[in-house]
Amino acid sequence: MMMRYAFFPGCVLEGAAAEAREATVAVCRALGIELVELTGWTCCGASHAQDADEAAALAVNARNLALAEQLGLPLLTACSTCTLMLRKAKAALGDEKVRAKVNRSLVAAGLAYAGTAEVTHLLWVLAGDFGLEKLKARVVRPLAGLKVAGYYGCHILRPPKIMDFEDHARPRSLLALTAALGAAAVDFPASRRCCGFHAVFPAEKDAFRMTGGINRAAVEAGADCVVTPCPLCQMQLDMRQPEGKAAVGGARDIPVLHLSQLVGLALGIPGGELGLARHVTDAAGIAAWPGK
Amino acid sequence: MGQVVYNIRRFDGRESYWQEYSFTHEANRTVLWGLLKIKETLDPTLTFVAACRSAVCGACAVRVNGQAVLACEAALDELLARFGSLLTVEPLGNFPVVRDLVVDWEPKAARLAAAKPWLLPKEEFSVADGCRQTAGEFKKINTQANCILCGSCASECNKLAAGDSDFYEPFVYSKMSKFVVDSRDGAAAEHLRPALEKGLWKCVHCQECVTNCPKRVEPAEDIAALRRESIRRGFTDNPGARHALAFRDDIAATGRLNEVTMALKTDGLIKSATRLPFALRLLRRGKLNPLHRPAPVTGIEGVRAILRAVKEEE
Repeated sequence: MMMRYAFFPGCVLEGAAAEAREATVAVCRALGIELVELTGWTCCGASHAQDADEAAALAVNARNLALAEQLGLPLLTACSTCTLMLRKAKAALGDEKVRAKVNRSLVAAGLAYAGTAEVTHLLWVLAGDFGLEKLKARVVRPLAGLKVAGYYGCHILRPPKIMDFEDHARPRSLLALTAALGAAAVDFPASRRCCGFHAVFPAEKDAFRMTGGINRAAVEAGADCVVTPCPLCQMQLDMRQPEGKAAVGGARDIPVLHLSQLVGLALGIPGGELGLARHVTDAAGIAAWPGK
Repeated sequence: MGQVVYNIRRFDGRESYWQEYSFTHEANRTVLWGLLKIKETLDPTLTFVAACRSAVCGACAVRVNGQAVLACEAALDELLARFGSLLTVEPLGNFPVVRDLVVDWEPKAARLAAAKPWLLPKEEFSVADGCRQTAGEFKKINTQANCILCGSCASECNKLAAGDSDFYEPFVYSKMSKFVVDSRDGAAAEHLRPALEKGLWKCVHCQECVTNCPKRVEPAEDIAALRRESIRRGFTDNPGARHALAFRDDIAATGRLNEVTMALKTDGLIKSATRLPFALRLLRRGKLNPLHRPAPVTGIEGVRAILRAVKEEE
């Protein structure tokens, strides 16, 4: 049976990280995973909207969940923060009183949320539902010799009561997935640290030190590239790599790939269709791996 | 299972070093049991703190394989199942170390005092009648009241690790939030002010505090509550508040984030101008389209109707 999901691209996949959308769609098409974009989805609040208006932030995500329920499909995201925000909303709406209250507002749009929507992430679908053995069998271009530092960041793991796919203190999904693609998984000490993205405006200097520290740790671990399941982390580590490097130093630049791009390369999808030219830190060497 | 190995980060007052201790496994024990076993049978010089052995005093928090835990509560078998027979045991992170696993709480206590973590009672309360509150009112502060000052949240905080001169320990914000919302307290501004002056918008949302609190306190949620309270009181002239408000407004306007105006709204025009090199970097790679305006989502009228209904419900 074909796997089907309601697709929640999230705002940055419409803008600065549009390449992650292209790559996600291309990978799912290649694997026979059908994505049905959730019509009328809105911003998840990005872990900021609740600071301005908690009730409104919950209600708009209840609407997103209600729309997914109408489709009768699990909601697939390609962003760790979107996943966390939607799952947090689902957890809050697990309380009957809260759900009844929010449903009184959803009525205004002719909607109701019953509480059944599932929210998942591309990484979890690949490492879980689809399965790494099956993924391995679909690899046509093994990334042999490519040393990949798997960077989880925060929201795909924490808090574990909401994000319970794997042990937050000892995650293995990226390592296992990288190995399934034929690449060499590099376990590096900064894999669960924060990239600083969500505080880049009010705490710029700290954010850049965090960004630079992660990239430097990946370089020092001998990685050829970093791969991450979160487009916000990717943007921070890639787009802000110059500031990060200026803040903490570093021997060389390192390309930072979206999870979907790395998978796409191994599936034989050309780098051009995965948006690898759209990176700030040159990823041409990875797109052409193993080169001549 | 045979042997358990603790690789312990030691500190003798001058130098820091690792030392391994091996002892026979016993089922259904805690991390603290292992530390006591080492001290009693292998090395009396190993120094750590523990008191109540009931997860209420907060004295015995240490880091095991990079995560803060209460040694008296952390089940050894669970950790061995997760990490294997070698456990690394370190003092809490983001604390000065006194000796081995003992950290210095003096500077932390001084920082906590800034929050005035005590009741500044409303005038109507008297010695004779006390400070009564309803069960509902108590429920609002119940979670934060569970804090035992063990330091686990501070140990793993990514912002503190990056710099503590402009940010308090997560538990400090939880204490602030507790007294801001306490129905018996008459001086919310006194508890909120230190957050406004230091760090309120600098939390990086890493969720380590929420993850590591052994008493299920959620400092990140308390920080969000303090932020809402600050906005309610009109403290919106800062990048953090402007950023949060811009998300709220974008959702009402089109349903989606507008990347171009987001930076302008958050930073203001002058600061945004200093980001021109960054913008050009993105333009060169086609990552930024300054003319892009997200069209309103299908059903935007419904989104706005929901937001109006939420406002009425509140």
